[in-house]
Amino acid sequence: MTDTPIAEEPTPPPSRSPWRYALVALPLVIAGLVFWWGYNRAQPHQFSGAVIQGVSAAPDFTLSSDRGPVSLSDYEGKVVLLYFGYTFCPDVCPTTLFDVAGAVEDLSDDEAEDVQLVFVTIDPARDTAERLGQYVRHFDGRFVGVTGTEEEIGSVATLYGIYYRAGEGTEATGYLMEHTATLLVVDRNGNLKLVIPFGVQSDAMASDIRYMLR
Amino acid sequence: MSRPLVGILTVLALTAAACGSDADIEVSDVWGRPSPAVATNGAFYMVITNNADTTDHLISVASDACGVAELHESMMSDGVMSMSPVDAAGIEVPGGGRAALEVGGLHVMCVDKQADFVAGETFDLSLEFDNAGTMVVEAEIREG
Repeated sequence: MTDTPIAEEPTPPPSRSPWRYALVALPLVIAGLVFWWGYNRAQPHQFSGAVIQGVSAAPDFTLSSDRGPVSLSDYEGKVVLLYFGYTFCPDVCPTTLFDVAGAVEDLSDDEAEDVQLVFVTIDPARDTAERLGQYVRHFDGRFVGVTGTEEEIGSVATLYGIYYRAGEGTEATGYLMEHTATLLVVDRNGNLKLVIPFGVQSDAMASDIRYMLR
Repeated sequence: MSRPLVGILTVLALTAAACGSDADIEVSDVWGRPSPAVATNGAFYMVITNNADTTDHLISVASDACGVAELHESMMSDGVMSMSPVDAAGIEVPGGGRAALEVGGLHVMCVDKQADFVAGETFDLSLEFDNAGTMVVEAEIREG
């Protein structure tokens, strides 16, 4: 760069013009925001999963955690997320717990206080209460993992329409479980309200949970 | 810009371009999620690009981080998730195409973890391809 003089100065705009624009634009922006707010309030919440219409009481059950017996009714008044999985699972189960942990993290402390994740093993032969406890708390210290006898797990799974079966594995893995990999959400009134499929991201889950906490 | 500098940059650019496209198989975004210490198994994901004209297959994976590493696929059918080893042919990577090993789909199942899968850790994976032979890639443990 040199100090060569610029040939032609651009004509300066009239000094009061920007303010005039602002005077016109501001009410428009405010009107837009008010409309947007009203529009959003008028829209029903879009859930990321399948909504269970009507009243469908979530059946109570009691299973064992490494910190004592756990019943669904212990969490009355909270939003409970129920997941049936197994700790031997390397892909889908840890991903789901990771996503739920992310959703809970998105909530305020007060909101998170009223949310409980319960991980029910469908592989009680390999998942002891101790293993489950350590496993779920890796994702969030508030998560609870429960197990029981084959019969107890079977009857809870049946109550919630969860399918599972030991499928073929390899020499190294032994059997691998096939299982319904949805997240069931019980509302504050103890009703089964929402079924979230695998693959829903944390922010969408958080939005559903927040709505159900209102 | 000075002439020698332009020359050096040109050589560098050509070298980089050559390195980028020379290999028939390129593997990128190799990662695994932090996993609870108590969990027996972990998983690795990656994207495999085949620059050759012919189809190749990822046949096997080995790593010191795993007692055994297997190629698996998670499959969803009517809400039921199942996971099974891929067949002996391995994972197909079409010529000029790619294969994605990703969450909820194809993945490396790291059976009997031999190390802690904590964020920031890296592990070497030895990948064996039908045509391209063996290559070692580095997997990073990260949250997503």
